[in-house]
Amino acid sequence: MTRPSARMPRIATLIASLALVGAACTPAASTAPTSGPTSGTPTQGASSAPFDATSYPTTAVDCANMPAGYTGQISQIVAVDRLTVEFHLCKADVSFLSKLAFASSSIQDTAWLQAHAPDKSYVRKTNGTGPYKLKEWVEGDHVTLEANPNYWGEAPKAKTVVVKWATEAASRLQNLQAGGAGGVDGIDNVGTDDFATVQADSSLKLLPREALNILYLGLNVDDAPWNNEKVRQAIAIGIDRARIADNFYPSGSEAAKYFTPCAIPAACGGTAWPAFDAAKAKQMLTEAGFDFSKEYDFHYRTKVRSYLPSPTEVATDIQAQFKDNMGIKLKLVVEKDDTFLTDSSNGKFPMILLGWGADYPDVTDFLDIFFGTGADKAFGAHFKDIEDGLKQGAVNPDVATREGIYGKVNDLLIQHVPMVPLVHGGSATAWKADVEGAHSSPIGSEYFAVMKPGDRDQLVWMQNSEPSGLYCADETDGDALRICEQIFDALYTYEVGGLKTVPALATACDPSADAKVYTCHLRDGVKFHDGSDLDANDVVLSFAVQIDAGHPLHTGNAGSNWYNQYLFGGCLNAAPATCSPIVPASPAPS
Amino acid sequence: MSAVASPADLLADQLATARPASLWRDTIGNILRQRNAQIGLLILAILVFFAVFADQLSAFGPDDVLLGHEEGVKRLSGPCIHALGCAPTQVEHIFGLDGNARDEFSRVIHGARISLWIGFATVGFAIVIGSLIGLVAGYAEGALDSVLMRTMDVVLVFPSLLLAIAIVAALGPSLVNAQIAIGIVAIPIYARVMRASVLSVKENGFVTASRALGEGASGLIFRRILPNAITPIIVTGTLGIGTAVLEVAALSFLGLGAQPPLAEWGSMIGLERGHLFTAPHLILFPGIALSMTVFGFNLLGDGLRDALDPRLNR
Amino acid sequence: MTTYIVRRLLVTIPVLFGIILVVFIVGRLLPGDPCHILLGERATNAVCAEFNHKFGYDKPVLDQFGEYLTGLTHGDLGRSLRTNLPVGDLLISRLPMTVELSIYALLFATTVGILAGVISAYRRNSAIDVTTMAIANLGVSIPVFVLGLLLAFFFAITLKDTFFALPPSGRLTSGLTIVPLAERWGLQNTGGPIRAIVDFVSNMYTFNGLLSLQWNVLADALRHLILPAVALGTIPLAIIARITRSSLLEVLGLDYVRTARAKGLAEPAVVRKHGLPNAMLPVVTIVGLQVGGLLAGAVLTETIFNLAGVGRALYDAITSHDFAVIQGFVLVIAIGFLVVNLIVDISYAFLDPRIRLS
Repeated sequence: MTRPSARMPRIATLIASLALVGAACTPAASTAPTSGPTSGTPTQGASSAPFDATSYPTTAVDCANMPAGYTGQISQIVAVDRLTVEFHLCKADVSFLSKLAFASSSIQDTAWLQAHAPDKSYVRKTNGTGPYKLKEWVEGDHVTLEANPNYWGEAPKAKTVVVKWATEAASRLQNLQAGGAGGVDGIDNVGTDDFATVQADSSLKLLPREALNILYLGLNVDDAPWNNEKVRQAIAIGIDRARIADNFYPSGSEAAKYFTPCAIPAACGGTAWPAFDAAKAKQMLTEAGFDFSKEYDFHYRTKVRSYLPSPTEVATDIQAQFKDNMGIKLKLVVEKDDTFLTDSSNGKFPMILLGWGADYPDVTDFLDIFFGTGADKAFGAHFKDIEDGLKQGAVNPDVATREGIYGKVNDLLIQHVPMVPLVHGGSATAWKADVEGAHSSPIGSEYFAVMKPGDRDQLVWMQNSEPSGLYCADETDGDALRICEQIFDALYTYEVGGLKTVPALATACDPSADAKVYTCHLRDGVKFHDGSDLDANDVVLSFAVQIDAGHPLHTGNAGSNWYNQYLFGGCLNAAPATCSPIVPASPAPS
Repeated sequence: MSAVASPADLLADQLATARPASLWRDTIGNILRQRNAQIGLLILAILVFFAVFADQLSAFGPDDVLLGHEEGVKRLSGPCIHALGCAPTQVEHIFGLDGNARDEFSRVIHGARISLWIGFATVGFAIVIGSLIGLVAGYAEGALDSVLMRTMDVVLVFPSLLLAIAIVAALGPSLVNAQIAIGIVAIPIYARVMRASVLSVKENGFVTASRALGEGASGLIFRRILPNAITPIIVTGTLGIGTAVLEVAALSFLGLGAQPPLAEWGSMIGLERGHLFTAPHLILFPGIALSMTVFGFNLLGDGLRDALDPRLNR
Repeated sequence: MTTYIVRRLLVTIPVLFGIILVVFIVGRLLPGDPCHILLGERATNAVCAEFNHKFGYDKPVLDQFGEYLTGLTHGDLGRSLRTNLPVGDLLISRLPMTVELSIYALLFATTVGILAGVISAYRRNSAIDVTTMAIANLGVSIPVFVLGLLLAFFFAITLKDTFFALPPSGRLTSGLTIVPLAERWGLQNTGGPIRAIVDFVSNMYTFNGLLSLQWNVLADALRHLILPAVALGTIPLAIIARITRSSLLEVLGLDYVRTARAKGLAEPAVVRKHGLPNAMLPVVTIVGLQVGGLLAGAVLTETIFNLAGVGRALYDAITSHDFAVIQGFVLVIAIGFLVVNLIVDISYAFLDPRIRLS
């Protein structure tokens, strides 16, 4: 995932909400809830008015007989009573609560959404339950958030938060360093070469982020000369990956020993990637009859990501290493940012430089995406032995067993070399030294409510880019999702600066014995920013709009609802192939 | 447009003068006496020197990544000049090293070659096509002239860089496409100059005279119009080279022109933009080189204009 | 005189049409497609087919052009693909920034430039002349992006915490809020062109501060504009200085000036009364021509100083194939440019009897 934040994982949890999809199916669901948001006046006496429970789909999806284009992670979401929601899953999902904590799983207010549906103003206006509310969005310049006085949780420490953006790391750092009132308090993605500067400055502090990503050199096993496994194995040891990590990445990065970062449980079993040995690589290439006289294309894009902060420099260094270490001539071919992913996933390029950032902290979010049955053709034909191993690992809940299974997969990767894992790229945020509670989130979900900027009332945060919209079910960029997370809450949330999921709008979501039904108990008395009460129907609708492709509230800015498809496996009521699961969910129910 | 002179036309008109061949020696002498031209030629001579002898003058290749080759090499390191106190154990890099540990001095002087090529090729392209259009428009007059000149106006109305960005975005980013884009944007200037020359030749009765002498159209063009137009075109062209180099550098800075690993100055500055505060020498040296090159062409162009325009006080 | 103006106006119409057509076609020629940019990198071909159908990109280009023209006649510039905001709204929020920046850059360039040119001409061939012209020449040669970066470094970091420190980016210090003029003057419910104009002026923060008598806003906005205006205005400054000098020198060598001197008029008065007014004609032309260059430079300046202006917006729109924005912005910019050219031409006609009477 290109987003540094783990918003994706949250979506996965949202999938659980798919049970509510049933409720979303029928527009009538919007009129059903009697929690009183339509008038905008809080109705405390919800207990006195009868609760018109909704569910989505109204008829549960038949797990044994699923509609085309749907992989049935959720068969139904049911509002049992005003404060209780049930998620019915077709198969047990160990990461369900993680998916519930995702930004796209935020809960919206039914009546407010419907009121804003005709002009789609819900994309640039918001009504959430979170610690901050949207005060103004000056297009192109900044977003201002102000504290929510009726927040159900701990009151936010800064009265106002101003979000600004600058695409250049140098510009962000300049803003942080510049003194004066109203200056920037925190910045995202400190430039690789600026780490030392921030650390040397006693008025600033540097907070590194864990490197939950991987940069890899992809080889298309269908294209000559990379279709020769011996050639690929030679390349695997012909690149000095530590040199790349040491020179072009900030501290906190490391040369990859495995494809998946080792912070993720069960990821690092089996043999580590073989050591760099230029002489042996050259020898293997000669033995394999490699043609050294030709020049081979090496495709990359210049988009900056946490796994690749300096694309041109890294590509240039790889080109130099191929020449110096192995005598292979590479030609750098720059591809357009937006089409590179699609083209490479269709197997168009013989050799690529690309990476992946974690959406949620599980091995399936790494290995399965690239080498599993549903993986795309970026590396050419799949390897059945790897696919089989991955299938096994996905269904086994025991960490020790999984480590063994994935260990075997790692060994197979070393043998087949569809790609060479290069670097896990660290990143960091930087803050003024007097910001208490400043933190970095490994998934980019910094939580501003706990930050106190010295003795100032206003916290100013500068990120990479402007959000494209704030209807987060339909956003994919971390810079939008981060702001959503200040304004909205989900049933669960990630702990501040960490990966563990903790209850938020739900006091608890209890799984059934077979882990196929999650019963979530909502907190009582939670109000949206406009004063309406939170109830179970809001939860149902929030997920229904994502699953029901025909729902008038389905589309936000983009219309892709990417995270829903990714975490929960496709939509209902959609034309075929327009809303298919991005990656098939775990194998068919056993 | 035909009956109403625009101010720009009047200016171009001021530069259109006839120069009989016998005065060429005098002219060159005039030019060389101008302080502007002297300094400009000096700067350009240095530039050409570096461009021609780039390989001999640099100890390293412009694309040679020194990581893994040089002991203790550190990318982005500042200049190390032994004569100025840098430890003799360190390898000498006069301008330091860039982000990929390539010798910056080598890249900068190889960039001279590229910039000279950019300047002359782009302006050459614009002059050839612009002159053709201006010639046809001025010669034919009437509807054809109107249409051609209106088209030129449409191109001129667009802010040059934006039009160039759009053209490059359509053609795909590369140095050649950037040159084409900047060339296209510059065509109207030379079209106007050429057209003004043609019109002044007509006004001065050369057409009738040449017809009386039995000259055909080609005679008219080569014997009357072109000599008349050469001076303003040379002056405008020389000044235009500096602009072309700057504009292609701007496109490369934005990532739309020269692609890595080509050592073009604008592209080098753009790539190292993020290192302005940690490695300012990587912005400074190509920046100075760029400025000096444009400065040289501008001075030369000024000198040419001062020497060749009879109306200025000397 | 009137016929001259009318003729000039008539001539601009086909030019305008040509611009609309060219922009439309060039926009469609841009490779890549808005679908992937908007829907993200992973949009499948099927999703994009639906997307293109929904926005009409799969219709023949001429049909699309026809629809666009029809929309134009209703004053509808379309909607931005990326933000779904009407292009007109985007113009009102972005264009004022660039216009404001250009005004100050031009102000800087003309005042300092003309002054420098006059002094140089007056003290011809002295050390001042040579130095000024050398600096002017150098100013023309430094790329905007290099100058901008260096200025930002010097004033924001080197001079940090001193009186002379200047902010390296942005339009206003965070936390300083701008109250739109429409709100302040109670015009929330007016619409149409009047509201558009008020909003436009309101988005020029210095004017906003001035008109609402908020001196702190005015001061803050000005501080943020100093560096970008200087960076942007340096090249026009150099050009104006050189043209002023050469034009003044030319005029001062003419016969009627010699006559004035022979009549015993002191040199400063000669320069002031006879030299300058006649020398200004080419200067006015050049200033008019510089406006276009300012817009081009604005793209780079806005990038470096992180200003949300029209140059940057256009660059973003081009790279993300946001057709409606490209077409709308370029159209308005072209109209503006044509208007400026027209004003220059007309003022030239006023100043130069030769043109008027031709």
